[in-house]
Amino acid sequence: MLMPRKVKHRKQQRGRLTGVAKGGQTVDFGDYGIQALEPGWITARQIEAARIAMTRHVRRGGKVWIRVFPDKPVTQKPAETRMGSGKGNPERWVAVVRPGRIMFELAGVDEQLARGAMERAIQKLPIKARFVVRPAPGSEAEVQVQ
Amino acid sequence: MAETSLVAEVRHERGSRASRRLLASGRIPGVLYGHGESPVALSVGGRALRAALSTEAGVNALLDLSIGGEEHLAIVREIQRHPVRQTISHVDFQAVNRDEVVSVEVAVTLVGEARAVSRAGGTVEHLLAAAQVRARPADIPAALEVDVSELEVGDSVLLGQLALPAGVSLDADPGTIVVIAHPPRIQAAEAEGAAEGAAAEGGEES
Repeated sequence: MLMPRKVKHRKQQRGRLTGVAKGGQTVDFGDYGIQALEPGWITARQIEAARIAMTRHVRRGGKVWIRVFPDKPVTQKPAETRMGSGKGNPERWVAVVRPGRIMFELAGVDEQLARGAMERAIQKLPIKARFVVRPAPGSEAEVQVQ
Repeated sequence: MAETSLVAEVRHERGSRASRRLLASGRIPGVLYGHGESPVALSVGGRALRAALSTEAGVNALLDLSIGGEEHLAIVREIQRHPVRQTISHVDFQAVNRDEVVSVEVAVTLVGEARAVSRAGGTVEHLLAAAQVRARPADIPAALEVDVSELEVGDSVLLGQLALPAGVSLDADPGTIVVIAHPPRIQAAEAEGAAEGAAAEGGEES
């Protein structure tokens, strides 16, 4: 699973999930993508589950890009622990995703197969997301909405 | 390339609130700049802009911009969109002359099917979706086509190998790879991943 190799601080504050994605809003590497429609935290496990769902559906050929990285540690206190005594232990890593963010990209397969694979991957994610096709540069085509 | 006419109005109110009001009324805020003139804030009709950019020339269409009765020849330099709704929120126009060579981004499209690659189970990866070219506004091509039907596994096409239309020159590194044919990938990595996943699941249950 994805996680940082080394971090400066072991624990982080939660932060806010307002607004829309500041970058990574366009399909830049592949031909198809999964775009977030809601804000949320995507855990490393969910990213891995989505990747596996996609590659298993595609079977052979195709190339997958993961455009989000879980670099935020989430802490949790052990069960049945009294409050206080400091912040809990880091339990998992999450990627902070805001609406508009392209989370995965896929290339080398036809659109029907890509749609099937990415719809399966979307099922593994905790937020609403959609399948998008990279519009031809120079064309006024809108991103295809499912 | 035929010019498409587009009527624009000078925008007196600036800022995000005024722009939001404009967008709500169906107009797109924009700006016209170039040739050392001071930039002019303007607005264009959303439908008219869409129609102007939906011709064969695409977003590189040569526009005959009419601002308060004054005609300006322009091209679209940048379009800003809402990341989720994909609606246009702002458009930049650059004033051009008919004889002036401008640098624009043109789509690179693949033509044909790489049978040799698909028969061998390989994949064709399209690395460069758009290329920067220099041309007179009237000579800007809608797209640069790359024929991949003769592509074999391991082959690649460089930007410098593309046949450019007359009056068009590259404004990018000719050594840039446009398309590459990959050999079939054995799904060893995936099998490994599955084995790891099974081990992890077993670990959770115990």
